[in-house]
Order: sequence, then structure tokens, then C-alpha cells
Amino acid sequence: MSTVDVAVDTLLALGVLGEAVCCVGLLAAREAIDRVHYAGAAATVPSFLIAAAVVVKEALTQPAVDALVVAALVLVLGSVVGHATARLIAREVWEL
Amino acid sequence: MGREATALNAWLAAATAVLAGLVPCGAVALRGSRLDALVALELATTLVTLALVLLAQGFARPAYYSVALALAGLGFVGNLVFVRFLERGE
Repeated sequence: MSTVDVAVDTLLALGVLGEAVCCVGLLAAREAIDRVHYAGAAATVPSFLIAAAVVVKEALTQPAVDALVVAALVLVLGSVVGHATARLIAREVWEL
Repeated sequence: MGREATALNAWLAAATAVLAGLVPCGAVALRGSRLDALVALELATTLVTLALVLLAQGFARPAYYSVALALAGLGFVGNLVFVRFLERGE
């Protein structure tokens, strides 16, 4: 097992672990606004860890660029949706 | 697709683990309020998008990345549509 394989496996494990933590948090949280934080967190670090695993494995080839673009899209667009959802929750639950 | 590509590798195992995260999302969507279900849908969109990346890498098919790219964009639009509908109270 080469150093690259170890790095890929580590990044993948950390990415999957991050997503798992967010899923457990979604299940454990009581309020919808708390759940938004876990849904938003899933779109940040774990997605880039998975993209980083692809980059380490493939170097800067087309699949690696695609994985980075997907991670960036998930981060940016997920943040926009999370903000819109949080605003909706604030209106409906807290009547702001 | 060779035998090595179809065998279970770390990418496919990771994709399976990520897709298992859909179970909590489904539980929250079924049991929670409509706002809880919306948040669960957002997390499920993220999970499926990342699972498609992992599957594309696991099957060694770079063309499959297009599906993940499309879902990243279309999932955003779909979630925003749901937010707008709920804002209007429909």
C-alpha cells in the first residue's frame, strides 16, 4: 500500500465520517433551525475532503477538476439554500 | 469495465456509507414537520451528489462526473423551489 493509497483512504474516511456526523446531528437535533446547521456543515468540509481524495488519486486531471467543481458548487449553492431555509424558519417559527 | 474496476474498492465502500446517510434523512422527513423535511431534503441532496462523485471514481468512469455536476445545480434549484412554495404557504 503506497503513501498515495493511505492518503486517499484517510481523506475518504474523514469525509465519510464528517457526513455521518452531520446525519446523526440531523437526527438528534430538536428544532429545524438546529438541523439547518448540520445540513450546511455537510456541504462544507466533508465534500472538500472527498474532492481532495480524488485530487490526490488522480492529480490535476479532468476527474479531479470535476470533483473540485462539484465540491465548490455544493458549498456555494448549499450555503444559499441553507440561508433561504433559515430565513423561512425564522419567519414561520419565530415570526420575524 | 474490468474486473478490478467492478470489485468493491474504497470509493464504492465510501459511496455506500454516504448513501446510508439517507436513512436518517428519510426518518426526519417522515416524522418531522415540513420544515424539518425541507432541511432533510437539503442534506440528502448533498449526500447523493457526493455519492455520485464517489461512484464515478469507484467505477473509473470520468463521464459519470457529469451526473454529479448536473445534480449539484438542479438540486439547488429544486430546493429553492420548495423554499419558495413554503414561503407562500402553498
